[in-house]
Amino acid sequence: MALLLILIPLASIILLNIGFKNAMTKLAIWLSLAVSAWQVAMIIFKVGFDSLNLVNVFNLEIDGLSSVLLLSIGIVAFCSILVGNGTICCPKKKFNFYNLILLSIIGMNGIVMVRDLFSMYVFLEITAVSAFILIAYQEDKFSMEGSFKYLVLSAVATVMMLSSIAILLMYAGNTSFVMVRDAVQGMNSPLVLTAIALFVVGLLIKGGLVPFHGWLPDAYTSAPASVSAFIAGIVTKTTGIYTMIRIVSEVFGFSETIKMILMIVGLISIFVGALAALGQNDFKRMLAYSSISQVGYIILSLGTGTALGVAGAVFHLFNHSIFKTQLFINSAAVEKQTGTRDMDSMSGLSNVMPVTGWTSVVAFLSTAGIPPLSGFWSKLIIVIALWKAGYYWFAGLAIIGSLITLAYFLYMQRRVFFGKINVNFKDIKEAGASIIIPAIILAAITLGVGIFFPYFINTIIVPVSSVF
Amino acid sequence: MNTLLLPVIIPALAALAIFLIPKKWPMREIFAVLVAVFNAIIAWYLFKKDMTLVFPWGGAWGMEFSFRLYGFSGFTLLATAFFALLIAIYSTSFMKDKEHVSQFYAYLLLILAQINGVVLSDNLILMLFFWEGMLLTMFGFIAIGGKKESIHTAVKAFIINGTTDLLMMAGIAITGYLAGTFTISQISLQTGGLASLAFILLIIGAISKAGSMPFHTWIPDAATDAPLPFMAFGPGSFEKLVGIYFLARICLNIFTLSPGSGLSTMLMIIGAITILAAVMMALVQKDYKKLLSYHAISQVGYMILGIGTALPIGIIGGLFHMLNNAIYKDCLFQTAGAVEKQTGTTDLYKLGGLASKMPVTFICFVIAALSISGTPFFNGFFSKELIYDGALESGMIFYLAAVVGSFFTAASFLKLGHAAYFGTPGESTHNVKKDVPLTMLVPMIVLAVLCIFFGVYNAYPLNAYFMPIIGAAANGHSFSGMPANFTLVIITILVLVLAYLNHKYGVKKFGAGIKAVDHIHHAPVLANIYNMAEKRYFDPYELGLKFVRIFSKASFSVDRGIDWIYNHLSVRATQVATNGIKKAHTGNFSMYIAWSLGGMIILVIWILRTVR
Repeated sequence: MALLLILIPLASIILLNIGFKNAMTKLAIWLSLAVSAWQVAMIIFKVGFDSLNLVNVFNLEIDGLSSVLLLSIGIVAFCSILVGNGTICCPKKKFNFYNLILLSIIGMNGIVMVRDLFSMYVFLEITAVSAFILIAYQEDKFSMEGSFKYLVLSAVATVMMLSSIAILLMYAGNTSFVMVRDAVQGMNSPLVLTAIALFVVGLLIKGGLVPFHGWLPDAYTSAPASVSAFIAGIVTKTTGIYTMIRIVSEVFGFSETIKMILMIVGLISIFVGALAALGQNDFKRMLAYSSISQVGYIILSLGTGTALGVAGAVFHLFNHSIFKTQLFINSAAVEKQTGTRDMDSMSGLSNVMPVTGWTSVVAFLSTAGIPPLSGFWSKLIIVIALWKAGYYWFAGLAIIGSLITLAYFLYMQRRVFFGKINVNFKDIKEAGASIIIPAIILAAITLGVGIFFPYFINTIIVPVSSVF
Repeated sequence: MNTLLLPVIIPALAALAIFLIPKKWPMREIFAVLVAVFNAIIAWYLFKKDMTLVFPWGGAWGMEFSFRLYGFSGFTLLATAFFALLIAIYSTSFMKDKEHVSQFYAYLLLILAQINGVVLSDNLILMLFFWEGMLLTMFGFIAIGGKKESIHTAVKAFIINGTTDLLMMAGIAITGYLAGTFTISQISLQTGGLASLAFILLIIGAISKAGSMPFHTWIPDAATDAPLPFMAFGPGSFEKLVGIYFLARICLNIFTLSPGSGLSTMLMIIGAITILAAVMMALVQKDYKKLLSYHAISQVGYMILGIGTALPIGIIGGLFHMLNNAIYKDCLFQTAGAVEKQTGTTDLYKLGGLASKMPVTFICFVIAALSISGTPFFNGFFSKELIYDGALESGMIFYLAAVVGSFFTAASFLKLGHAAYFGTPGESTHNVKKDVPLTMLVPMIVLAVLCIFFGVYNAYPLNAYFMPIIGAAANGHSFSGMPANFTLVIITILVLVLAYLNHKYGVKKFGAGIKAVDHIHHAPVLANIYNMAEKRYFDPYELGLKFVRIFSKASFSVDRGIDWIYNHLSVRATQVATNGIKKAHTGNFSMYIAWSLGGMIILVIWILRTVR
């Protein structure tokens, strides 16, 4: 079963490219939608988890944490494909887009299921390569620049991780999580510690945390709308954040230094991201900085090293992938209908785009942690985890960060959606169904998770944290 | 239905009915008078009977709804009914052409029901229920005064009495805790420790209702801002009568106040201060009603002084004075109402020469004024002599305070009478042709006659009403007839003569009745004190307001400070930080790589520091 999650997207890509160009161009959207929907269904209904144990090439495993990620990957991919259908101009580019999304799904599914450092690295590269192309496929100057920055910094991260893996292989004799863990935990050699530091820094670059975030705003902003939603919503979360949660908690272990590093980097990210978001005029760039800030919460929570903290991190990861994808989809709708991303030139768009306006309210209130939306609960868990672990100052600062989040989102909402409508945009319409539907789906998930929070925490998040 | 419930239920239902009667109907006055008559008949019927009424109330707490009729409550019931009837009759003329007539009669009957409830209650909680009801009705009464300040005065009265009622509530709680029951007739506590605290708290509630210092400051304001019948009704009902009634119950039934104890001395000091301070204020008033209102406070001092002695003679004197005060003060306020009705003002500067124009009112005023000054053979004389006797036995200083108070009382009424009824007619009195209508004259005449009757034949009220109240302590005493201590009578007469001479001196010096006491007003030290009092430096309510104002100003500046932190400091700091971060993100990717590598170096060094 686990292998199917890699094989089926792979088979789809092959099927789409064996010939029959015209037929396959039409088929591509349905096939990719089907693949991602199937993935969501598999996880929700837990279909055949234990059957179909084929040759276990990569040592794949699905535990609670993997399930949460697989679910998010499926949902975000599904929504991004729909948005891509609504925003990308010509059939050829659409076809490429679907193929690259499928490739990315392979990479990410691999990342969350492997139990081996080197295999993880391989899937990271698969995901990264498809991400580079996705960002750049618009083939204009800005997206090239954004893609290039991502490429260069990813290369730096790759060097660090590969070196680290080489060192760890030297000590452990194998790169499987279990073997490496046994070899490094309690080890006091400077070389091993350097290897750990390098690996962590590599993942921090991938996750886009301050001060390793330089590529992120440009990449998110310059990418086409549907790609931004996909990359911001799930790709960086899987390649940078999920991997951090997995590696730190299962392989390196929570030493005091690592905890402190994670918490301080998290806190710096929260504030730098939020303050930078406050000063942006570009809708997507603001969302990009907001992403940095929210990722900071996840890492901060992880840094407590307690079961509750890890649960909070995973929960916030899931919530964030949902509502941040949605905000990027809202920005796509606005950009498509108005032709601009400059927030100063917009006003009162809620009057003509009510669905976009109000789903965006749901998403940003959730991001800022307003009850009863999903983001409130995950932030609450994070703050409680910090408090219980004795990090009172961090808990207080996390709440202040939340206030700034509310500030920049209210500022955004007022400038873009509320108030008197700008005369230039008086006659525009709501974006098409393929943008509206994903926005509604995601807003419904945000609201649903918030309202049925007890069910959600018990069935999904608690099993995750009980692993640790 | 039990007869005991009628005095509460009938007026209350009638009050509701008056609220519901359409405004155009002319029947309200007649209806209210009829209810008051009916109430008086019931009170007469109940007088001198002993009855109790008990049924469960308040469910799980085992509270009982208990009424008890006995000598004291029967008498108070009757007295209240009598004064309520007079006020109802008086108001039919006085309230004509005024606003809020419906409300006025409704409140009158409602407060009557509540007074009857307080008087009859044999359960402290039940009593508190009616007591607080009086507070609300009083608020409404003052608020319909029809002046701009009426609502402020109503709020002031409400806050002062609400505060003291709250203290009384605490006192009731402690009393119930100590006694194990809230039934008044079963409580008998010795003072000391917690019980003394309960005593003081209960006393505060009682004397505040009676209008003693320092809880008096709403009364002079109410005198000018509330409808006049409210003030006339006050001494005979919810203020003095009920307040002193409850004070006597506290001192006689609930606790046993012993002569010479600390609490007794405390009460006497409060009484003495109230007498002197209020009468000094009364002396310098230039308004008919305001002058009377300060006397209303001052006379309460005599009652508290008398009861505070804890001697039979003092208690009897205090209670008798309560009745006498109700009679003559009621009468005096009604003369003020008559003057106001005919001239449209009570400002003494605008009055004068009314004696010939309103002869009946004038005669009633003279009788009541003689009575309040303690002139021999009027009712006030006998009750004051009893109080003097008790005060002298408790301490010379208290006696002196009481006598000095009498001197100023006499002086101020000489001034008032001179200014209002003699001298040259003021600007407002020229057009007065005749006296007030009969409905207003009759109550005044009745009260004036009572002043003389209770004076000449003081044995009747003393023996019939008051001796039974103190029970066994009265055995072997006789307080009726001429005062026993003849020296005191001579001193009293001397004091009255002195007051007259003082008046003569003042009039001669300043040339007008209204200025008769200006030499006292402008005496060196006194002038300063009067100035301060006029600026309300001694008013706890005003002081409280001032404190609240300062406090709120301070809070406001703290609030502004916090606001500044929110709206300026934090915004500014955020802007600076945001601009700095924006400037750092130049889009130059080599710099971004440098950040990453720098971060990496820091982390590697940090993690390597743990190598041992």
